[in-house]
Amino acid sequence: MIPSPGNGWVRLSPRKLLLDPVKAVGQAVVPVVVALIGISQSDMRFWPLVFPLLVIAPLVFGALPWLTTHYRLTDTQIQVRSGILNKTTSTAPLDRVRSVDLEASVLHRVLGLQKVQVGTGVDDDRITLDALAAADAHALRTSLLGRRIAAEPPPPMPARESDHDLGQGVWPGHVPGPAQAAPATVPPAPAVPLATIDWSWLRFAPFSLGRLVLLVGGLGVLSQVADELPIWNEDTATSAWEWLTQFAVVAIVVVLAVAGLGLWLVVSVAGYVLQWWGFRLVREHGSLHLTSGLLTTRSITVEEAKVRGVEMTEPVLMRLVGGAELSTLATGVEDGVTQVLPPCPRTVAVGVGEAVLEHPGPLTDPLVEHGPRARRRAWFRQLRNALDVIVLLAVGWWWFDLTWWWLAALGAAFLALAAVVGEASYRHLGHALADDHLVAGSGALARVRTVLETDGIIGWVVSQSWWQRRIGLADLTATTAAGTERVVVRDVRLEVAVALADAATPGLLGDFVARGSDQPQPAPHPT
Amino acid sequence: MSDVGAGPIVREPVLRAPANRVSPQAIGFWTVSALIGDVVLVIGALVAWLVIPGAPGWVGLLVLLLAVAAVAHVVLMPRIRYRVHRWEVTDTAVHTREGWIGRETRIAPISRVQTVDSRQGALMRLFGLASITVTTASAAGPITVDCLDADTAAHVVARLTAITAATEGDAT
Repeated sequence: MIPSPGNGWVRLSPRKLLLDPVKAVGQAVVPVVVALIGISQSDMRFWPLVFPLLVIAPLVFGALPWLTTHYRLTDTQIQVRSGILNKTTSTAPLDRVRSVDLEASVLHRVLGLQKVQVGTGVDDDRITLDALAAADAHALRTSLLGRRIAAEPPPPMPARESDHDLGQGVWPGHVPGPAQAAPATVPPAPAVPLATIDWSWLRFAPFSLGRLVLLVGGLGVLSQVADELPIWNEDTATSAWEWLTQFAVVAIVVVLAVAGLGLWLVVSVAGYVLQWWGFRLVREHGSLHLTSGLLTTRSITVEEAKVRGVEMTEPVLMRLVGGAELSTLATGVEDGVTQVLPPCPRTVAVGVGEAVLEHPGPLTDPLVEHGPRARRRAWFRQLRNALDVIVLLAVGWWWFDLTWWWLAALGAAFLALAAVVGEASYRHLGHALADDHLVAGSGALARVRTVLETDGIIGWVVSQSWWQRRIGLADLTATTAAGTERVVVRDVRLEVAVALADAATPGLLGDFVARGSDQPQPAPHPT
Repeated sequence: MSDVGAGPIVREPVLRAPANRVSPQAIGFWTVSALIGDVVLVIGALVAWLVIPGAPGWVGLLVLLLAVAAVAHVVLMPRIRYRVHRWEVTDTAVHTREGWIGRETRIAPISRVQTVDSRQGALMRLFGLASITVTTASAAGPITVDCLDADTAAHVVARLTAITAATEGDAT
């Protein structure tokens, strides 16, 4: 046994000793089985040698991380040490802790463990503690987030041997007892619930196509397996096809479509339930705190001071049933765009968005339109895409010598679709400046509205392609450290773009803006 | 809501061009680098046309068109670029304009600048040029001033570094 290093360093939960070997066995099971089969087919003599090795190796490799990983909390830092030969020490200043996320797989939950990830605002630098006892993890989270907003750091934690600690629901750094429990060092801030799951929202699940990719991927794997099945040879295929063609093809198509829809319904609803079971979004300790999950539970925390805006997305199918999704745009977290609501009614998304922004309006107020030239460009862009597809199809048609009527019909359908998408993407286009928030509308099929605090804007890019220059339009990009790091106002008139940028960040464009001599005052921005 | 996209509005403010041109040496640099790339491309196309047996005659015409386009690119692009590219560093902001077919104007406040890099490739050194890249906390925000003469670049870097060192906060 490697001795505990003392000085306040503590180990992860001893139950990790159960967790890691199981995981290691899970990962090693395929090669081990392959090896066993190989050995059993050749020679039985090595069995007494090999078998203990196969059992012991996962146990050893599972135990090593627990033996060698220690962490501690000092007045100013959280420190994690790991490794045997190459020792690595990760530290993060407590005042730089931006997020503390908890995650637990089914295995974690059976063992009462949580994986803790501490984000410090530097990209790709998360401190991961896998795993802590659930209560320890929660106490650590409360302590880290609470300490961040505490006026002065609490007294240093007492050094303590961790071997005595069996993860009995108290964060190891604290001696059990209410007086020294982490929450007691901070006046308990009331947690304000912003949203909880409402199972009538389940009706949006089939209209949210995010999981369709998974389903298609799964079917792809299935078809690979089906190829391997012995019944699937050319004879059966041919006879099956003859059998099929005896019936109406239409009926078969209908049956397949219904079956596909049914499958999709089950998969989407099941996925929604798995992901959003017990969903709660609360505001506490100056952070947004999201918990959800049926099997794997997640607990995500976003510091509100770092939230610079929100983005509301209404995918085309969700629009039909009045649904929307909401994400926050934050700086200094690894993934700046955090989805904080499941697919839910638009009013709920707007309500939560306004609560996060602490401003009513930006998500619902009408946007300034970009005018007929922008509409022409939106149409032209989509029609050109359709023409590209049609030209490709035409080449294929010419190559395979197919009936041209079909191509004409397809082409007409594509052009009509392009016209619809073009008009839709124009209608989604727009911008506004309201109460220190820059609002940009975008999206072709989905309607996306991005709201960014003007404080979060750290630069501007005005770009014009050759076509845009000819008709006086420009793409205005507000650069920011939050979210996807840019908010684009597309195809806006150049003068309007400059006025918008100038109004959103007064003084930034200062010297570079030339105004007409008849206009001493800055133009009020039309909103 | 008013539709400000429609109708002429003459009173809106416009961005003026940044004050400084880049080094005149840049024309030579852009010409040489364009020439290298285009010669490789045209020769590659020509060889492919000659080597592949049975290529029809109109492919030769395409190669000829490509060569003409390459010549136009080499002759025109550097001159247009020199007219378009401009830069300015004030006490509060960095402002650049670049492009030759399109235009791109970038502005970042100096208070949000995180790093100032200068870069000088081998070919740039032949022409006595250097580029400066100013980054902010946004991946969409880096501003590059291409092809300053090396002395000016050194001065600008020194000045930007001095100003940003005096700025507090984490620039996000």
